Amino acid sequence: MTFTREKDFGTPEAMGAAVSLTIDGQEVSVPAGTSIMRAAAMVDTAIPKLCATDSLESFGSCRLCLVEVEGRSGYPASCTTPVAPGMAVRTQSDRLRKLRRGVMELYISDHPLDCLTCGANGDCELQDMAGAVGLRDVRFGYEGENHLEGCKDESNPYFTFDPTKCIVCSRCVRACDETQGTLALTVDGRGFASGISASQDESFLSSECVSCGACVQACPTSALIEKTVIEIGTPDRAVVTTCAYCGVGCTFRAEMRGEELVRMVPWKEGKANHGHSCVKGRFAWGYAQHRDRILNPMMRGSVDEPWREVSWEAAIARVASEFRRLQKEHGARAIGGITSSRCTNEETFLVQKLVRQGFGNNNVDTCARVCHSPTGYGLKTTFGTSAGTQDFDSVRHADVILVIGANPTDGHPVFASRMKKRLREGAKLIVVDPRRIDMVRSPHIEAAFHLPLRPGTNVAVLTAMAHVIVTEGLVNETYVRERCDTDAYAEWAEFVSEPARSPEAVEDLTGVPAADLRAAARLYATGGNAAIYYGLGVTEHSQGSSTVMAIANLAMATGNVGKDGVGVNPLRGQNNVQGACDMGSFPHELSGYRHVSDSAARSLFERDWGVSLDPEPGLRIPNMLDAATDGAFKGIFIQGEDILQSDPNTTHVAAGLAAMECVVVQDLFLNETANYAHVFLPGSTFLEKDGTFTNAERRIQRVRKVMEPKNGYADWEVVQLVAHAMGLDWNYTHPSQIMDEIARLTPTFAGVNYAVLDQRGSLQWPVNAAAPEGTPTMHIDHFVRGKGNFVVTDYVPTDERTGPRFPLLLTTGRILSQYNVGAQTRRTANVEWHEEDRLEIHPHDAENRGIRDGNWVSLRSRAGETTLRAKITDRVAPGVVYTTFHHPDTQANVITTDFSDWATNCPEYKVTAVQVMPSNGPSDWQRSYRAQAEASRRIEPAEPAE
Amino acid sequence: MTRVFVSRDMASVALGADDLAQAFARAGCEVVRTGGRGLFAIEPLVEVETSEGRIAYGPVGPRDAAAVLDGTHANRVGVTAEHPFFARQQRFTFARCGVIDPLSLADYAEHGGWKGLEAAFRLSPQEVVDAVKASGLRGRGGAGFPTGIKWQTVRDAEADEKFIVCNADEGDSGTFADRMLMEGDPYCLIEGMAIAGHAVGAGHGYIYIRSEYPFAVRTMRDAVARSAGRIAPFTLEVRVGAGAYVCGEETALLDSIEGKRGQVRAKPPLPAIEGLFGKPTVINNVLSLAAVPFILSEGAEAYAEVGFGRSRGTMPVQIAGNVRNGGLCEIGFGVTLGELVNEIGGGTASGRPVRAVQVGGPLGAYFPPAMFHLPFDYEAFAAAGGLIGHAGITVFDDTVDMARMARFAMEFCAVESCGKCTPCRIGSTRGVELIDRIVAGAPRGAGMLEIMPQMRNARTAARTQDEEIALLRDLCDTMKFGSLCALGGFTPYPVLSALDHFPEDFGGASALPEAAE
Amino acid sequence: MMSNDQRLVHMAGQILRNFAAQGREEAIAATAEHLTLFWAPRMKARAIAMLEEPGAELPEEVRAAFAALRHPA
Repeated sequence: MTFTREKDFGTPEAMGAAVSLTIDGQEVSVPAGTSIMRAAAMVDTAIPKLCATDSLESFGSCRLCLVEVEGRSGYPASCTTPVAPGMAVRTQSDRLRKLRRGVMELYISDHPLDCLTCGANGDCELQDMAGAVGLRDVRFGYEGENHLEGCKDESNPYFTFDPTKCIVCSRCVRACDETQGTLALTVDGRGFASGISASQDESFLSSECVSCGACVQACPTSALIEKTVIEIGTPDRAVVTTCAYCGVGCTFRAEMRGEELVRMVPWKEGKANHGHSCVKGRFAWGYAQHRDRILNPMMRGSVDEPWREVSWEAAIARVASEFRRLQKEHGARAIGGITSSRCTNEETFLVQKLVRQGFGNNNVDTCARVCHSPTGYGLKTTFGTSAGTQDFDSVRHADVILVIGANPTDGHPVFASRMKKRLREGAKLIVVDPRRIDMVRSPHIEAAFHLPLRPGTNVAVLTAMAHVIVTEGLVNETYVRERCDTDAYAEWAEFVSEPARSPEAVEDLTGVPAADLRAAARLYATGGNAAIYYGLGVTEHSQGSSTVMAIANLAMATGNVGKDGVGVNPLRGQNNVQGACDMGSFPHELSGYRHVSDSAARSLFERDWGVSLDPEPGLRIPNMLDAATDGAFKGIFIQGEDILQSDPNTTHVAAGLAAMECVVVQDLFLNETANYAHVFLPGSTFLEKDGTFTNAERRIQRVRKVMEPKNGYADWEVVQLVAHAMGLDWNYTHPSQIMDEIARLTPTFAGVNYAVLDQRGSLQWPVNAAAPEGTPTMHIDHFVRGKGNFVVTDYVPTDERTGPRFPLLLTTGRILSQYNVGAQTRRTANVEWHEEDRLEIHPHDAENRGIRDGNWVSLRSRAGETTLRAKITDRVAPGVVYTTFHHPDTQANVITTDFSDWATNCPEYKVTAVQVMPSNGPSDWQRSYRAQAEASRRIEPAEPAE
Repeated sequence: MTRVFVSRDMASVALGADDLAQAFARAGCEVVRTGGRGLFAIEPLVEVETSEGRIAYGPVGPRDAAAVLDGTHANRVGVTAEHPFFARQQRFTFARCGVIDPLSLADYAEHGGWKGLEAAFRLSPQEVVDAVKASGLRGRGGAGFPTGIKWQTVRDAEADEKFIVCNADEGDSGTFADRMLMEGDPYCLIEGMAIAGHAVGAGHGYIYIRSEYPFAVRTMRDAVARSAGRIAPFTLEVRVGAGAYVCGEETALLDSIEGKRGQVRAKPPLPAIEGLFGKPTVINNVLSLAAVPFILSEGAEAYAEVGFGRSRGTMPVQIAGNVRNGGLCEIGFGVTLGELVNEIGGGTASGRPVRAVQVGGPLGAYFPPAMFHLPFDYEAFAAAGGLIGHAGITVFDDTVDMARMARFAMEFCAVESCGKCTPCRIGSTRGVELIDRIVAGAPRGAGMLEIMPQMRNARTAARTQDEEIALLRDLCDTMKFGSLCALGGFTPYPVLSALDHFPEDFGGASALPEAAE
Repeated sequence: MMSNDQRLVHMAGQILRNFAAQGREEAIAATAEHLTLFWAPRMKARAIAMLEEPGAELPEEVRAAFAALRHPA
């Protein structure tokens, strides 16, 4: 494979009707609005350029791209001049050559000359252009005024800024403005003194820069360049793959030098990210090579023993024999498995297949249990399928954007940038969140309404919005009549119309001013295309499923489902939450969301797999832990999930795991759960295997192996080894065969295979005979379930109440630079932005408790206690505290309770009654846990060979 | 009680008009503060209302009140309008300037104010645009683009919102007509903008004034507030610049109003299609907008009757520099450069021969007296390698060093460049360095770097003076044809005209005889 | 902390409360259906067993919902 750069057309694509012109005599037909530069590039006529790149609007500053247009005076810049019918363009002439050379002569009169030792050598547009224009002499000499004394800024852990190499093309500034929307960069000074500045002339690290990498990617020289390129050199091959962090599903070119990853560059063709990225996907992949990674299988007799490294054969044999023994002694349902939303569809499918076919029960669950299980239940009940309704591009057509219980700029940064771009174009924003998240007010963006509700009152707020929409006559009657179940609607409309559901009636409960709520509801109903985006602030509640349905009700009542620019859009937390759910990871569902009691669906699998399947739903994760403490659940296979850190009520999780006899953990690192494991199977990273991920927009995208698995096997191979050891006849030699099986057994995936994926780049399910190219927007003519189903969502307060002992409400979330339990991001330089979890507390609550910014505080709930440092901020309302859960030292989930969503048992992470007090050291739990963890992580040195 | 008139114009105040006004008030006169008349040689000026008309005295000081009032002062000018400097003028735009109290709505109405707006309201918006087209009015900011066509484009653009923006960022050294009009007859500009709003369907306008004009800012703000009811529903607001010359370039000005760094935008899109906040925008110079009330009230023909070739109507020419009668002269196009300099301007103040005249501000070309036959006309000046610009004329006598003036042009560009496009950003600095070498007669030898053995492609032989001048011409070529806006694009005019007409100042062959003296 | 039996009763009560707006009988039926669809056999078996245990404290509606469950295979 040879290394080629992605073609740069210079300016973005245009959409107008066809226009014909000639370029150097060659007839060209392009859409109206296309620049001359792009039109030329489309026929492979390269016009010299430096300030233009096709991810950014044209700028016209470098003046290299001048052309001649017949009948026009002067030399228009081809990047800023749109084509016109009949235009005759010349891109080469003596005059143009002289002008371009004159410009280049000026550039080089103020540029370092040691190209051969430059990080960008061979990958520098300035170098290329100097060659293209034939610059041979800089007649001004090199002793004039210059910028060659500038200091390099190496503060960012991933890239450097060297102002001496800067040609002030503003591509970085424009990338920060247009693509990322952070507006952290600017041109400081003017004229010859112009230079790039981060924030108010700060270092990149201390500026507002979020390290998304857009500026680095946009830079034509090595002024902004990845440190890895400086260290390793330019790449020699590139493989397109999909990011393994959040549910946005950005695609990247993994640019390699041999087996070494040089850099991850967002892929312009990627339909989810369109060439953009965030600090995690772009830069935080160093964990794959981290020394903490476990590369050999390990076993031990009991969890107080140190680990012993063993062969794969020995480890797999132990797993199989223990599982079979436990089933023999305690019944077929005494063991189970957990699939991972971090793994590929193929791997997830195999783990649930192992459980259903090999274990002979349905005790399989997935980490979606603790994040988006209510989405599955809620959207299936109302619309008929468990998935978001739109593609990400849909946001371009939204006029009103309602963000509830999501913090896109931290959790889904690349999509947040798209959303912000649309907001800058004039769409209106409503934010429903207890915290004043960044979206509420950031450069050039201000929410029309921020409804800072009390945690736990989502249903009351959404029902009050429905009250306003129904009682003020804002319902889209035609849509409801034609598309929805009218009986269900009538019942719902009557329910929400009751005075007790009015904004005024619930104002005291929710803390949301009634007038704001009314105005927001009116805006949502009447502001044009209205799209709802939500996250775990919706699902992780005792009424998570009700909230999802309340959202669906609002969308149906206003006709905001089934076209571009609208919809109900869950922002998925993990790269493959959607896929893990699609693949049948829930204990009650086969792939494609078919209930295990559905005998037709079951028999399809039974015929294919040659076994009979259990028609009864299996245990959910919390049920498994309960059953374990009862002595009825004895063994578990956990792939790529750290339930001890991520699941609620840590002490209860620990007790459940401790009660099991065979805990098998497959992971990259000795995670917290592994402290309770008997067998550890090393996992492979997304860079080391083939497969697919499905993102939040139902988009199936390829994960491609860029290097050999450091642990020896891809995860799907390990599952197959276990299956073989348990006597199953599996014969997969490549994940594409697993996808073929998925397609064979899952109607919504019927048209999916690797050949089509490779050809089309990605596919959004359903992909079948009716929609061979996939389905960007769902429910267009009718809902999947037929008629849209309105569900009455009565507000039921959580059992978790504040009181004198626990007067504050804790809510949890995450931060841009870190990812979930932090297993990966804590093992990268991202810790420079977030070294520890902090407790956000309102100045008023801090004052009452004598807490100063940065003080250690104890955080106590009915479930447990931990300590961390306080951050005083009015982002949270009085009475509400907030923290992240990225660090095991904090163990935020020691605090969270085991209350959960009524329909799905998704934990109520977002509401815990707590008390906060000044403290001077770690809690008892932290102390004892730390000691236990240290003991449990010992690895016995391997015996020297005889 | 005797009524006297004393200017409140910034230039007059700088020369002592405030003290003068106080002295006449103390002497028991009713003092009316007007705008400036426009002839600085007779400032501070006081006009006494008499039965024969206003009798002017100037320059006079505060102690001269008694002598003025009894008519004995030696500097009696006579009836102001009959002074030769004013007699030749055709004041269409500046008719009221210096005559009325600038902020008096009554004065304005009495002197023909609002007639244009009333006439416009009687016409359909398209008829107003047609009238402006028929008048032949062209952009007075410098580019000379037909105003009516610009308005037509904005009028034809579909949008929920449109804007009128007045460019009052009068940054050219030696120009002051915008300032004088805003200080002396602010309602005239307001009326012109309201007419434009009616014509193109814009509801709101901005007047962007440079921060160096505090009097104009104050007067315009006051006038906007006082006339709000008269122009409603059209509304106006004043925005103040922050000291950047480049913000006088229309697209940089729009960015500045939007709250951004004032940086030139590439065109297209034209501001008429995508201007302020992305909406169709009429952006015109003060003088263009202020010419409109006359066109509407007196008729397009009355305006178009005056002029020369395709340059119709009058131009408020500003004569400055080393000149006897510096000031504002509104006159029909077609007057020759020589007439402006020698007859109206009265030659140099120093009494020495005129050597060069720069027309069109700091980026305009220098002309020698040999070219004084040029008629004041956009096309004639363009053909002669120059430009009219904002009609500033700066006069130099024979002591001027034209190489230094060329250097000044490059330096001006370097100081004021926004830094966006390469030819202007780097080229202007290289231009200064290059002219310094040329003036010093020290062509560049190979640099330390160029003679290093690692450098195989650099030339090691010294450059000759002719090569350096050729490089300067090449640089001017790159800047003229490569720059994004007129700042970098016009900087070569003064440089090349100095090189062409005054080569002897650059150490060229024709300098030799002088050196031999 | 709740015992595992208490947790089952609590979960069933929570489901009932969320269906309560439909009316008592409908809520009981909907809850029983929900438990049938989503509870594992072991949980359903415990629920049914609790009906017979004198010590089990079952609110009336929870009892009714449990009573509507079929014994799983």
